[in-house]
Amino acid sequence: MKYDVIVIGGGPAGLAAAVSAHDNGAKVLIVEREERLGGMLKQCIHDGFGLTTFGEKLAGPEYVERFMDMVRERSIECSLQTFVTRIDKREDGFDVVTVSAKGIEHREAKSLVLATGCRERTAKQVFIHGTRPAGVFTAGTAQHYVNRLGVMPTQKCVILGSGDIGLIMARRLTLEGAEVLGVYEINPTPSGLTRNIHQCLIDYDIPLHLSHTVTRVFGRDRLEAVEVCRVDENMKPMPETAERIDCDALIVSVGLIPENELAESIGVILDKHTKGPYADGQLMTNVPGVFTCGNALHVNDLVDFVSASGAEAGRNAALFAGNSRKTVDMSIGKEFQYMVPQQLDLNSDNSKITFWFRSARVQKKSVLRLKVNGEEVWKKNYLSLRPPEMQEIKLDMTSFGIDESSAVTWEIEEVQA
Amino acid sequence: MNIKRINRELHKRFGDRVNASFEDNCILLRGELDEWSEVVEAGQMAAIPKGKIHVVNDILCSGAEAQEMHISSLRDDALEGETPDVLIIGGGISGCSIAREMARYKLDILLLEKEADLALGASGRNDGEVHPGVDLSKGSLKHKYVRRGNAMYDEICRDLSVPFKRVGQYACFKDKRLKPIIWCYAQYRRIHDGISDTRIASSEEIKKTAPRLNKDFAFAISNPNSGSVSPYNLTIAYADNAVENGARISLNTAVLGMETENGKIISVETNRGTIRPKIVINAAGVWSDKIAEMAGDRFFTIHPRRGTNSILDKKCGDTFATIASVVGVKTAAGKSHTKGGGILHTAHDNLLIGPDAVETYERENTATTAESIERVFSKQKITMPTLSEREIITYFTGVRAPTYEEDFIIEWGRKTENIFHVAGIQSPGLTTAPAVAVDVSAIVAEKLGAEKNGDFNPVRKAIPVLNEMSDEERAKLIEENPDYGIIICRCEEISKGEILDALRSPVCVPTLDGIKKRVRPGMGRCQGGFCSPLVTKIIAQELGIPVTEVRKSSLDAPIVFESRKGEKA
Amino acid sequence: MREFNCIGCPRGCLLHVEEVNGEFVVTGNTCIRGHDFAISEMTCPKRTICSSVKTVFADVPVLPVRVSADIPKDRIFDVMAEINKVMLTERIGRGDVIIPDVLGLGADVISTSDVLVREEIKITI
Repeated sequence: MKYDVIVIGGGPAGLAAAVSAHDNGAKVLIVEREERLGGMLKQCIHDGFGLTTFGEKLAGPEYVERFMDMVRERSIECSLQTFVTRIDKREDGFDVVTVSAKGIEHREAKSLVLATGCRERTAKQVFIHGTRPAGVFTAGTAQHYVNRLGVMPTQKCVILGSGDIGLIMARRLTLEGAEVLGVYEINPTPSGLTRNIHQCLIDYDIPLHLSHTVTRVFGRDRLEAVEVCRVDENMKPMPETAERIDCDALIVSVGLIPENELAESIGVILDKHTKGPYADGQLMTNVPGVFTCGNALHVNDLVDFVSASGAEAGRNAALFAGNSRKTVDMSIGKEFQYMVPQQLDLNSDNSKITFWFRSARVQKKSVLRLKVNGEEVWKKNYLSLRPPEMQEIKLDMTSFGIDESSAVTWEIEEVQA
Repeated sequence: MNIKRINRELHKRFGDRVNASFEDNCILLRGELDEWSEVVEAGQMAAIPKGKIHVVNDILCSGAEAQEMHISSLRDDALEGETPDVLIIGGGISGCSIAREMARYKLDILLLEKEADLALGASGRNDGEVHPGVDLSKGSLKHKYVRRGNAMYDEICRDLSVPFKRVGQYACFKDKRLKPIIWCYAQYRRIHDGISDTRIASSEEIKKTAPRLNKDFAFAISNPNSGSVSPYNLTIAYADNAVENGARISLNTAVLGMETENGKIISVETNRGTIRPKIVINAAGVWSDKIAEMAGDRFFTIHPRRGTNSILDKKCGDTFATIASVVGVKTAAGKSHTKGGGILHTAHDNLLIGPDAVETYERENTATTAESIERVFSKQKITMPTLSEREIITYFTGVRAPTYEEDFIIEWGRKTENIFHVAGIQSPGLTTAPAVAVDVSAIVAEKLGAEKNGDFNPVRKAIPVLNEMSDEERAKLIEENPDYGIIICRCEEISKGEILDALRSPVCVPTLDGIKKRVRPGMGRCQGGFCSPLVTKIIAQELGIPVTEVRKSSLDAPIVFESRKGEKA
Repeated sequence: MREFNCIGCPRGCLLHVEEVNGEFVVTGNTCIRGHDFAISEMTCPKRTICSSVKTVFADVPVLPVRVSADIPKDRIFDVMAEINKVMLTERIGRGDVIIPDVLGLGADVISTSDVLVREEIKITI
């Protein structure tokens, strides 16, 4: 079968991409490896989604099912429980090879949207040592068990990491009758959104221990206890502060990593800051015709941004005509954790470019500046910048006199109050 | 053997706290020391290499209390009154390979494993290297079996469908002045020990074939016959094939004691009933000296030695296709009891880094420590400077089971006639296992006067590995069974069909870990984050049990608990 | 005076509330939602809760639900107890009411998913 656009991944980014590609005239296929569309939002049953997109506070399934309705209304083709095993480049596009109960299938498309989402960092990736008992879960896995299978991964647990999923799970497990003994965060500041600290921890009297980490788990069969330690300013655990806490599970929420193994297999270059692809203002990667969005591009804090980038990638994938590119890279100062997109294609329409960025650390009153060849061309003031809170800016990039040889740099400067 | 000389040295080192005596044809050490390392040192001082007289080390150590053997919580009488011809104790590589080779004879074979799965001791927790045997000296059992075992790997892994790759090995040297000496050494090995493929590789060759290795290496000993095998898959495959040929395996079954009479084992007591075997094979790994003791045949001591390995992301596997280690470099970690591990391209195309070697009094403590990882990486960064801890996806610790003589014990009991010991098996025990199993089964079968089993089928009915097939083969299998097209583990691309096959395999272990070892869901970079709930659900459906009854590993390792919902309705 | 973070949006403004002549004066907010949240927090703190109800359907053992309007914070676990009593026997859709006017608090417990009524495909794992 031949398509204009194949969207890989049927989560919030992929669904928005498919709808927008369709609305821009493309014949679209969504390939989803699970038996249902919706991605991780199927299990994110808490509310707070959709404030920007729909002006309402929705639960995760409600939010994503609205996009599923749009896909259905448009009769966009979906191939569910279908796994992309490889992508072969063709002269006029891509051959997407899939595995499903139907066998091995080849589907061709002129352009691709990679909406492959992200995965969780594991307990081993943060070097938790000790035994290998049952009861060590990533927050997302625990969430799957509670919210989709209706069973409890713990009765009394410790949570490592104050990322949003960890905070959400602290509240979720408490509501379901489990005891959450505490949330431990290696950083001196919380990793999750302030509102989640408030409504997930403070509301339920769950203690948050900053500058602490879990170093070890105990228990031969089922987890019996964990060892927590205070960390020094270099984030090294201080053994003399070790404390043993009896519990039956350790739930880790220590970060998300964009999934780009498929992207890398077709030569997409990744940014070491985001672990997602280098993208231009149209969210196209270095491989012409391959677009990126959502949490595969960078880890977003809100699903509304995921959908927005999906829609942008889908639209541009539909309009992709294989024109030659004239790219200019943008550089960021060390005050940034990252910024996307990382480059501009001067041959494309750059009048409405959306940028997303996070600061590297908590900053008080700050100024974001855009400089071209050392000259400030644009700036924006912020009352504060915090790494957990992603910032969005929409800019017309055509008026700054950027050409191929321009040095385009972004800077953040903290302003003394 | 000069007990006076041994005592002189022991007294010089430890004063009168330790004493050696020659009893029952053993060197028996008694006394009390403060540190476990001293206990081990005393044992090593008393040991006579390549001899038939072993050290039995009874020195006490206050800080190192003997660890109890873990015994499953299962209690029943499933094995009560069984009278097998051969009772094999231990479901590691030794026990399982012997079970399969014994199945070539018309014998009633029963293998006991105290844990919930096979290969949960050292057999499943090692680096999987199939050794060339270049560093072993003549006269030891290790040397006797290593070449023969190595040569058997192609056939055995083909018959049993176990991933095995002859990836070759480089032992690398920085100091080019050593080259003439090492060249002579390699020549000596070739001529004297028949290790004909060993040769010296130039720095240019190393740079070309393994560009990630340290650019400063001047030369290396190259052993093209070295290989990588999945050690737990080999163990399980041996067991599956044994069962396919009539042997029986009882998991969660520990030996609690034995009754002996006139130098003969009459009965073996387990948590699942009392068994009356004709012959017992002791393949109990770190507990083999305790099993010997139960049988009234104590003549050696195991001193456990931990080793930790790290597994790196498959992306790293693509960058390095062989095995390498650095030789002759002192590291900050100080002296080591082994060659000190290396970097290994595994049979599943990951990279493995390790192991280290740490003496321990805890026979079953497989908990990992940060120090081990740091130690291994600091050394292997010399071998490969671009190595990064950030690529680690998992790590594990195993406990080796050496004797103080550091050689295998493969022989009939000395005081008890119907026990055969396969003990002290450590590196290169994985390499030697196929050859040892052939010999042991022949010896035991002869004693029993057993006939050959004409129906023996050496080929195991293996679970297909779909992601390694061509599109055509894969499509054909999916057409026959659509479950092969439903991908459950995204990282390793494992289908529901393969998981169901594992649940229907000869030695079925319906736990998350059991399935993970057999067909690899959860072995990849997300470590089961995405697939473990799905696999839990498949296990529950296949067994017709609620998900709350599915286990991670042992019977005492529930994954999830009942929720409070819906109870009132 | 009390200080707490607004939960209205990801910005999470730090709100300061002071009682002046029996009236609450809010500062630190950057929008009207923050002001309203602060007042509510001082008088009768309310929250939304999301959970799930057990079903009799093997393919979907639990259905996600939420309350249709905020409920008093101190009644959260009372409402949870009601939610936990449910055993759903009907295949209902998104927005359908499961418990009307739960505990008389003026909010319904509603389904937040169509998962029981919209079968994407029939292969189950």
